Amino acid sequence: MANITVFLCRCFGEIDNAIDFDLLRKELSKDTSVSSVSIVDSLCLEADIEKAASQIKETKADRVLIAACPTLSRGNLPVDGLIKEGIERHKIDLVDIREGCAWIHGNDPEGAVKKAKDLINMGLAALQHKEASKDMRVSVHPDALIIGAGPAGLAAATSLAKTGFKVNILERASAPGGMLRLISQLYPTGEDAADKLNPYIDEVENNHLITFYPQSKISSIEGCIGNFTVQFSSQGEDNSIQSGIIIIATGAKIFFPTGLYRYGEIRNVITQMEIERQFLKGSFDAKKPVFIQCAGARDKERPYCSTICCPASLKNAMRLAGENPGSEVFILHRGIMTPGNVLEKYYRDALSMGIQFICFEEEKPPMIMGNDRVEHVEVYDAVNGITRKIETDLVVLSTPLVPNDDSVRLAQMLGIEVDRYGFFSESYPMHPLETKMDGVFICGSARWPVASDQAILQGRAAAMKAVSYLRQREIAASTLSRVPGPKSGHARVVPDSCTGCGNCVAACPFEACHLEKLEDRHISKVDMMRCKACGNCVSVCPNGSMQIPEHNYRMVGEMIKRAF
Amino acid sequence: MAGFEYICNRKKDAVLVIGGGVAGITASLDLADAGQSVHLVESDSHLGGQVSKLDKLYPTDHCAFCLLWTDVKKCMEHPLITVHTLSHVKELKKESGKYSAVILKNPHYIDEKKCIFCGRCVEECPAGAIHPGWEHAWPPSFVIDESSCTKCGNCAEVCPSGAINMELREEEINLVVNDVIWSTGFKEADLRHLKEYGSGTHPDIMTSMEFEDWTAEGGINKGEIVKRSNHSVPQNIAFIQCAGARDLRMIPSCSAVCCMHALKQAGWTKRRNRTIDCYIFYTDLRTVGRDYYRYSLREFEGTEIKLIRGRPGLIHPLPGGDGIAVQFENTLTRKRELRKFDMVVLNGNIQPSLIQYRPGQDEKTAIPPMDKEGFFNTESDETSTFACGFGLEPADVAESVIQASAAAMGVMNKETDQT
Ligand SMILES: Cc1cc2nc3c(=O)[nH]c(=O)nc-3n(C[C@H](O)[C@H](O)[C@H](O)COP(=O)(O)OP(=O)(O)OC[C@H]3O[C@@H](n4cnc5c(N)ncnc54)[C@H](O)[C@@H]3O)c2cc1C
Ligand code: SF4
Ligand code: SF4
Ligand code: SF4
Ligand code: SF4
Ligand code: SF4
Repeated sequence: MANITVFLCRCFGEIDNAIDFDLLRKELSKDTSVSSVSIVDSLCLEADIEKAASQIKETKADRVLIAACPTLSRGNLPVDGLIKEGIERHKIDLVDIREGCAWIHGNDPEGAVKKAKDLINMGLAALQHKEASKDMRVSVHPDALIIGAGPAGLAAATSLAKTGFKVNILERASAPGGMLRLISQLYPTGEDAADKLNPYIDEVENNHLITFYPQSKISSIEGCIGNFTVQFSSQGEDNSIQSGIIIIATGAKIFFPTGLYRYGEIRNVITQMEIERQFLKGSFDAKKPVFIQCAGARDKERPYCSTICCPASLKNAMRLAGENPGSEVFILHRGIMTPGNVLEKYYRDALSMGIQFICFEEEKPPMIMGNDRVEHVEVYDAVNGITRKIETDLVVLSTPLVPNDDSVRLAQMLGIEVDRYGFFSESYPMHPLETKMDGVFICGSARWPVASDQAILQGRAAAMKAVSYLRQREIAASTLSRVPGPKSGHARVVPDSCTGCGNCVAACPFEACHLEKLEDRHISKVDMMRCKACGNCVSVCPNGSMQIPEHNYRMVGEMIKRAF
Repeated sequence: MAGFEYICNRKKDAVLVIGGGVAGITASLDLADAGQSVHLVESDSHLGGQVSKLDKLYPTDHCAFCLLWTDVKKCMEHPLITVHTLSHVKELKKESGKYSAVILKNPHYIDEKKCIFCGRCVEECPAGAIHPGWEHAWPPSFVIDESSCTKCGNCAEVCPSGAINMELREEEINLVVNDVIWSTGFKEADLRHLKEYGSGTHPDIMTSMEFEDWTAEGGINKGEIVKRSNHSVPQNIAFIQCAGARDLRMIPSCSAVCCMHALKQAGWTKRRNRTIDCYIFYTDLRTVGRDYYRYSLREFEGTEIKLIRGRPGLIHPLPGGDGIAVQFENTLTRKRELRKFDMVVLNGNIQPSLIQYRPGQDEKTAIPPMDKEGFFNTESDETSTFACGFGLEPADVAESVIQASAAAMGVMNKETDQT
């Protein structure tokens, strides 16, 4: 029989004003599992906690129930206090009889006592059946792995290396730089993309802590935070590396507007990327260029704004205007996306340079006129309410960034999510670079289209998030909690009764369950480093073989029985 | 592996983080999790900043305080973070590679560690000076508003836990820190001198933060949308974008967060009361983040929010105080109209919070180098401090916390460079 000590906290009168403690004590003492009921002034005072702790030790109580205010108020103080005094967490339970009872039932003393008794009774039931989850620790491999060597990946890699960690970079292409290698100058500064990249590339080449694997292709990723094993080939050679964390910086690709605005059919209709390529070769001659925004974006198929194409058009429009005096440059748009101080000024610069902006509506896109080369563009100017015919010698289509072809495959290998468009996505809005999998971070355009400065910022930020894990020699599974304090437990399989049906494997959102082969059958196994104690597996297990010890079914069943 | 060892075993001077909103909280937690001790200074009574004053967050429509709360609590409980609330940095000097800071700490007359949140003091206070920080603030503790308290001492007499001590005085704390991160966020700018917006002329012309507060689910009206003038349900609401922003007379920048913010407010207004017509007057509807554009589609397709491209030229209370006249040109139909609205919400007038201080003018507050608009000017900062959040550039929650982590990484890299 259990030997439970109950503490009723008066909370300076806040609770016993409404609840008759003497009556409550009498009622509770009838319960055979209760060895003593003490009334205390306020368990959040250190002195009272000490007193309580010594009383617990003296009476050799094996479980403690505190009836007081909830954890969201000060209830964590007595619990933490008792833990500090050496009492195990799973042997303590806290029942809220203040906010949830005394305060709201102050005008019904009888009801208040009854409810307090029910709540405490449920707590007593819980205490008798509550068990503790096992914990595990893994040693952390202190190297980092970065996938993708665009500005985001390079910034992440160099930040980590400068902080003292070994970094491996896997890059699909043969050289680092990502999309910036294809771009001439950068908005909003006008700096050469190469100049932006060079310090990072120098660091990659010269910092002995960084190893760069060009032309690499990943075949598998296994493990979890602390110990990922990645199989890949680089320049045709198979290889394998271990890492404590993974940062995804694989960028995005540019949308190819085949069939849109007669692209591919008629000369002089090119994409923004092509104009960048021309600029990389030298200057570019166009007297009457027309930029068309949202070519393949903010439509039914790709209902999103790709962030970078408006400022990129401003950049190239201003450059063309500057390099070709007397030219007339048009930007046809559906709202110019230049949020913030720097970009809004960039937009004003373009306006004051004489770039002409025409706003069109989605339903009435511009029309490209001409036989084998574009001669003019016809557009309904929504603001002035007229159709305009613009003579032109070059049409530049501003096309959006779209996810890489292999993003879904990579996400599956890692167990992380992609959004409805195919970009890697975070699991928690306040932590935008962290994914569902601890130790896997996302940054740059792989996450969502961004300018290179933003990509660099995100790369550094992701590196920062990684540091807190990499610096630990060991990580305990119980610490991988998303809320303050430790996790509330880990799912546990009863091997004898598990039939290996696999329901739990399918139900687990964190890919923490898998089937393991025994001699004659399969059973489920839970990876504690991944389990978040969400309980999904418990609810689909047909025979109660899956339990979270802190919330096991006997405990919950008994609590329900006592409540009703 | 010198660096690795260094990080694990660093003997550290702290980093000073100024401003305890989402950015400051994130920077502090990142640094502390990396083994660096931090002093976090916040002028308000609790951590949380502007997000703690928001009801919902776009684009996921999560309750703002749920998201905020976990990180605030982690911050308050982190062994390496010292939080100074009701405090500000009075002096900051760079001396031989380090910074010496003087922090002015106003007293918490109510001891956060002792207050049991019973509210007895609130009932006894004749001046109405006691309030509970923000909803779900951590730690849960009442706060005495210095400016309205008459020091009568009634509260201390009734406090059962002895949490109130009116004898406390402000104190100065001297710190030596290795690095400084500014994360002082934004404040709403006063729109009254742009007369056409009618700010301050009618109780139903509000700024968007006022509207957020007025209509918050946890606020005084429990999420109900009513007029501030007479508590009746408005027939229609006009949300005015770029009020004071993208305007060379006041804030040349695009404040970057207000389009989404207005879509959110209009969407929630519709969800709570379908009968209220919502109009958003926009310049460009800027929706660049993940799902932002979709949010705009969903908001105006699904909930029939009406979008009008154009900036009103005049907003004026109607005679007798019944309603507000809004005169505008819809630039897509080219029609000039005059329409009556029951409520007007002004959006966009937000600025870096330090803009109110000018170098040399205010001796009581240390300020970083700023540009004309009040944004932290990294280029002219010889003292090479770091910055993140809205004080750096107009940024929403996601962008601010990314900047914060990047600033923390900047500190880490700088620290390692020195050894
Ligand atoms: C037309 C155009 C103009 C632009 N102009 C500007 C500008 O003026 N200023 C500005 O700031 N930004 C500009 N940008 C945006 C800029 O290019 C991006 O912000 C930036 O490149 C994003 O960086 P990233 O590191 O996230 O991705 P990326 O630069 O795309 O780099 C990703 C890297 O990952 C690699 N990779 C992908 N998948 C894998 C895999 N499975 N395994 C290994 N490696 C992989 C790729 O090969 C690539 O090297 C422009 C973009 C476009 C399209
Ligand atoms: S940034 Fe791109 S997708 Fe967004 S509005 Fe501009 S052109 Fe369209
Ligand atoms: S409790 Fe949740 S996370 Fe853990 S194994 Fe079960 S389903 Fe997976
Ligand atoms: S659902 Fe239950 S029985 Fe089925 S595999 Fe999982 S633990 Fe075993
Ligand atoms: S001292 Fe008096 S005025 Fe001040 S908070 Fe206490 S009760 Fe209110
Ligand atoms: S009376 Fe004391 S314990 Fe109660 S709310 Fe006020 S300060 Fe806190």
